[in-house]
Amino acid sequence: MKFTAYKPLARSVLLESLRRKDLWVVAILGFLIILCAGTLGFFGFDGLEIFAKDLAVTVLGLFSTIIAVLTSCRLIPDEIKNRTLYPLLARPITRFDLLIGKLMGAVVVTWISFLILCGLTAIALTVFHVQFNVIMLQYVFAKMIGLVVICALSMTLSIYLTPNASATLAFILAFGTPMMTRGLTMSATSVGPFGKFVYATINGALPQVQLFDIGGRAVYPNWAPVPMWVIGFLVAYGMIYSFAMLGAGWLKFRKQAV
Amino acid sequence: MSIMKHWIVVGTMVGAVTLGTQANKFASIVNPPTRIVGLQAQDTHAAASLLGQFRTSFSALLYLRADLYVHGGVEMRPLTHNEELHGRTGASEAKDEAEKLDGDAAIVTVIPSEKEDFRGIFGDVERRVASYKDMAEHHHQSPTQTLPLFRLMTWVDPQFIEAWTSAGQIILWENKKESSALAVDFLKRGLDQNPESIDILEEIAYCWMKDNSNQIQPAHKFESALPYLLRAKEIGLNNLKTLSDREANSLKDNYRKLCICYRELRQYDELRKVAEEGLNLFGEDASLKMALAEATQKR
Repeated sequence: MKFTAYKPLARSVLLESLRRKDLWVVAILGFLIILCAGTLGFFGFDGLEIFAKDLAVTVLGLFSTIIAVLTSCRLIPDEIKNRTLYPLLARPITRFDLLIGKLMGAVVVTWISFLILCGLTAIALTVFHVQFNVIMLQYVFAKMIGLVVICALSMTLSIYLTPNASATLAFILAFGTPMMTRGLTMSATSVGPFGKFVYATINGALPQVQLFDIGGRAVYPNWAPVPMWVIGFLVAYGMIYSFAMLGAGWLKFRKQAV
Repeated sequence: MSIMKHWIVVGTMVGAVTLGTQANKFASIVNPPTRIVGLQAQDTHAAASLLGQFRTSFSALLYLRADLYVHGGVEMRPLTHNEELHGRTGASEAKDEAEKLDGDAAIVTVIPSEKEDFRGIFGDVERRVASYKDMAEHHHQSPTQTLPLFRLMTWVDPQFIEAWTSAGQIILWENKKESSALAVDFLKRGLDQNPESIDILEEIAYCWMKDNSNQIQPAHKFESALPYLLRAKEIGLNNLKTLSDREANSLKDNYRKLCICYRELRQYDELRKVAEEGLNLFGEDASLKMALAEATQKR
């Protein structure tokens, strides 16, 4: 592992993103956030705190996931398609280093976009006199860790599948896992010990993205902040799952003919 | 030829804009008001319960979200058939309303409790990051926060009668001096979209009856409510055979409110007539019986 190689690799992803004007997309999404906030005024009711926060959390969750998936899914296929992978692999780095560097770049781009969206959302919320609290900071932090998981998952899928197929599957997993988990917990009450073991295995394999969403506590009043051990667990789980995904991607990528 | 092309383009654009601005006039033809049968959101089938939010329309989804607001973000669900077959009981199994009110512990949440969750630490973490709590002795948030959702529902689906009437109730719930006027104003917009709705007419009348803004002439509120109740009664009688259960209930409530209005306005002949008419339609109703007895006594 060559830590010195990660920074330029990540930087190249960021520059490529700027060159492709991806941040314009973020600006347009941000404009939509402001527009949504404007509709609150249109409805003309006082005491909109929950609604405003609910809308903000929904929009942030949706847009940041879209950015994470679309940024990560195209990185490796684009390098292969544009034949820019050859000069990269000619350097004294392994393919695993390349994957880590690219993932770091994708994470940086996604985090910057997410933080821009957070800033615009914060402005919109301030207009509606919404008070900020610790849980909102925890929400932002946990979401950032969750975005690392989504980036790692999307990038790994793009190594096994075409960019379009990987993006589709990544969206299904990112948005569908909470529902799949609900389905498992609902039906688990009526299965035996072996069934529960199978359910736990399936559940463990799925990316538990809903764990990184503290939006419910941030939106509704009278909820206590999340305990620090839970935040620690989320960081550990996020890192382990992301490295597992990266490892799975590397298994294919290390032997892939380019 | 080139100038003609330009004129065709400009003409088409002007035509499109004109048509767009006049489109609302065709709403009653293209999308005529229909009676809403009711929200089927609490299906007990497992797949329906899981996918319910996709199955129902967007406005119904917002209606469910309003329930989430009132419960501080704690998401609940009905029991599935499979769970019932395995002997699990929920709040919906309560024998009567009193048992239902006392049966908070039997409410089933979407995120399961620790003892029902097979996921181990994942479950523990989710219960700490999500808006989850044991529903025993739970409290409700102020419903005022749900108003934007109801406004959105009625905007998306103007024929969603329950959204209009629920929002009217919530505006009234604020119990401010101007609440009745605001609720009436809001409901009148609903009435414009659903001129044949018994529920909305009855709700407007109720808002007038609860109006406390005119302390000098308290009878004014009953006089204001009366035309709406009479109109609702007329619509109900004209469509007696096609009324849904909810509309039939509204018509019964409408008769009760008519009785209250006539009693407060001391129009005892009218009170007797309305009470008799209501009893003929709905049989044994204690309120209408009492109204009839009062009318007979006061005459």
